[in-house]
Amino acid sequence: MALFVQHGHGKSDKIDAALESTSVEGVIFGARNEKIENIESCVKSVRERGGKVLFDPQFHVSTLVPANDRFLPDYPYYKVGRTAADFVGIKKLAGYVKSTLDFQLNLAPDRLLSPTVIFDSFESNWCQTALNLADASLDYHAGLAGAPPLLLSFVIGEQALSSRTELDAFLDQVTSWDSLAGTYVILSREESSYSQRFDPAHLAKALYLTYVLGNINGFEVINGFSDFCGLLHRCVGGTAFATGWSQGLRQFHRRSFKKQKAGGQPARYRYTSAPLLSSILLSELQQIYENGKLDAVLSGVPLDALITEATSPEESDWNGRWSELHHWESLHRLENVVGHDVSESINAMEEKIVAARELYVGLAEEGVVFGQRTQPEEHLDQWSEAISSFREMASL
Amino acid sequence: MSDFDICRFPLRVEHTWCFSDFHLPDFGALYSNQMALPTITEQNIKDLLPSVTGAIPSGRGGQKIVFRIELEGQAFALKFALLSDAFQPDIADIDETVLRARRETQIMQECKSPHIVKVGPVDLGTAAIDGQNVLYFSEEFIDGQALSDAIRESGPLTVPSVVKLGQQMCSAIDELWSLGKIHRDIKPSNIMQRSHETNFVLLDAGLAFDVAGESISAGFLVGTMAYFSPEQFDYTNRRVMDFRSDMFSLGVTLYEAATGQHPFLSPTTSTPHLYTKITKHNPPSPSSINPLIPGSLDKVILRMMGKSPHLRYRRISQLQEALALI
Ligand SMILES: Nc1ncnc2c1ncn2[C@@H]1O[C@H](COP(=O)(O)OP(=O)(O)OP(=O)(O)O)[C@@H](O)[C@H]1O
Repeated sequence: MALFVQHGHGKSDKIDAALESTSVEGVIFGARNEKIENIESCVKSVRERGGKVLFDPQFHVSTLVPANDRFLPDYPYYKVGRTAADFVGIKKLAGYVKSTLDFQLNLAPDRLLSPTVIFDSFESNWCQTALNLADASLDYHAGLAGAPPLLLSFVIGEQALSSRTELDAFLDQVTSWDSLAGTYVILSREESSYSQRFDPAHLAKALYLTYVLGNINGFEVINGFSDFCGLLHRCVGGTAFATGWSQGLRQFHRRSFKKQKAGGQPARYRYTSAPLLSSILLSELQQIYENGKLDAVLSGVPLDALITEATSPEESDWNGRWSELHHWESLHRLENVVGHDVSESINAMEEKIVAARELYVGLAEEGVVFGQRTQPEEHLDQWSEAISSFREMASL
Repeated sequence: MSDFDICRFPLRVEHTWCFSDFHLPDFGALYSNQMALPTITEQNIKDLLPSVTGAIPSGRGGQKIVFRIELEGQAFALKFALLSDAFQPDIADIDETVLRARRETQIMQECKSPHIVKVGPVDLGTAAIDGQNVLYFSEEFIDGQALSDAIRESGPLTVPSVVKLGQQMCSAIDELWSLGKIHRDIKPSNIMQRSHETNFVLLDAGLAFDVAGESISAGFLVGTMAYFSPEQFDYTNRRVMDFRSDMFSLGVTLYEAATGQHPFLSPTTSTPHLYTKITKHNPPSPSSINPLIPGSLDKVILRMMGKSPHLRYRRISQLQEALALI
């Protein structure tokens, strides 16, 4: 089991409930969404339930303008509106590293996460800054006797994954750090809204990155905010993946950390279908039920009972909270796709993709209409294509 | 004909396909392989080093002539290479290079590995012979055979010998890396096998690439392209260069030792073709050439030859462990 809850706003008792359902291994707290005076008790509560704890300092938000940084300004290592000039000089970097890691040390997490900055190209100065921060973090960590292992954080804009050559050079650099234990990687997504779609060329390189770090070089790799795609990362060598509760917290979109005009529609309840490898709307689940195909799309997890024991999906007590817990349960269940080695795992994943595609086709033939989406299974084609390119890149 | 007459050959190697032809012009050449070394006689050596006795020519490479010499009853190797001033007419540059090379050999004296050739008692120096500037230095004399000769004469090594070669060269690469050095020129003709205990020794390590400073090899004993790692071709210097580059060259060497064949080179390979092969082409598995090779050794050798450093072993110790399991 290697699924983490990615903590965000509106926590209530979601984390406790998820830990009790045993579908998640622990929690990655985000500084932005927790008051500094509460963070210790949050950590304690997870520990009491036997969960693992990581604390994402979200240092990277400091370069976003205008930042939607909520509680972050209260954290000692954070300052709003840092510019490139704030990262010139080893002393400055060492200072950021010290304050960020020292803060985490007080929380005694299972892993320390290094401060980083977001970059959109492996050739950019921001990438260089991220590497310098990583290097400075390794240096500082080397002097901390008895500290938890350090994971180097990287927040990579999806666009960076356009160039293979640059990615290769980046990986050469990261794998050259002898004392490195692992990485915490977040991909900043380009998709405008929550969906499982992922540009296949980008996804293939993202998988290659995890494969090289996790499988070939044996580092611990945690793929933050990776949601369904976290399963693909697990197949190629990722150690663990994380996703949040609401749709906005399942994947990383930079705009969530930037101030925006208020508005938007209230979220509609969703059901995560393991066989469809996607989250569908409750109204879509209702149609499937009406077509007598409900069993084919159920995830096969305990919380399905809420649906199966009701007269129909729409008449069930399904709500946001159940939907969130059910999402983790379903992803956890899907993790059985991870086999002994990469080839076995991606073969098994491909079988699931083929089965899901057939299921979509069958449902469409029965007259099920998936919202406004003309091609609800588009993500499956993209994943297949990404897996093929990945295989080629990894010579598998 | 005296013993020294044998040495009246140009330093250019006369094989049908000549590795030294592949040297890249960008690296310049302080040891020029385009020019012949002057004839070096016993008298030249006596004049240069009066305490040396019994000098016998004992080897030659693409760039050097090697003599077995005796000093106070002990055998050593004395090596001469052309310090060309044709490409570097400014004599100050040469002095600077010699200084740096001397610093390098001093560092090399710190090497403890029995698999790295030891520096000898004759300090590195320069001399003018027949109007040419030559560089000379000494090493322990290794009573044995170059691996390249062994493969040419007797074919592939046995699997246990390939493993032993791999492990011993790992220890050499590891020690060099602990001093911040990359050898850059690991290849069968730079590895000797001692006659008695059959251990392998890496040559030329004293003149290896120094990662800490500017590379003396930018104009020095450049690696032979056929054993270059893909990143050694990267003139933009954007790829990481570390011990994993030597690991690649060792992988090519092990491939050749295990199969008797070079993974990328054939008599008809042109320079651009060789470049493409090294950077893009996946060679056939060693066991497809020599069926005696177990799959586990196949895997190790192919991984060492990963096209990017990040695809190889990230620690020498991991490679050593993998070799120990064969
Ligand atoms: N220390 C030594 N003891 C005994 N023989 C040696 C020693 N060093 C070199 N030789 C012999 O001389 C040959 C050439 O030496 P060396 O590899 O140093 O020359 P080179 O010009 O650098 O060759 P290449 O261009 O092939 O690398 C070796 O292959 C070996 O046979």
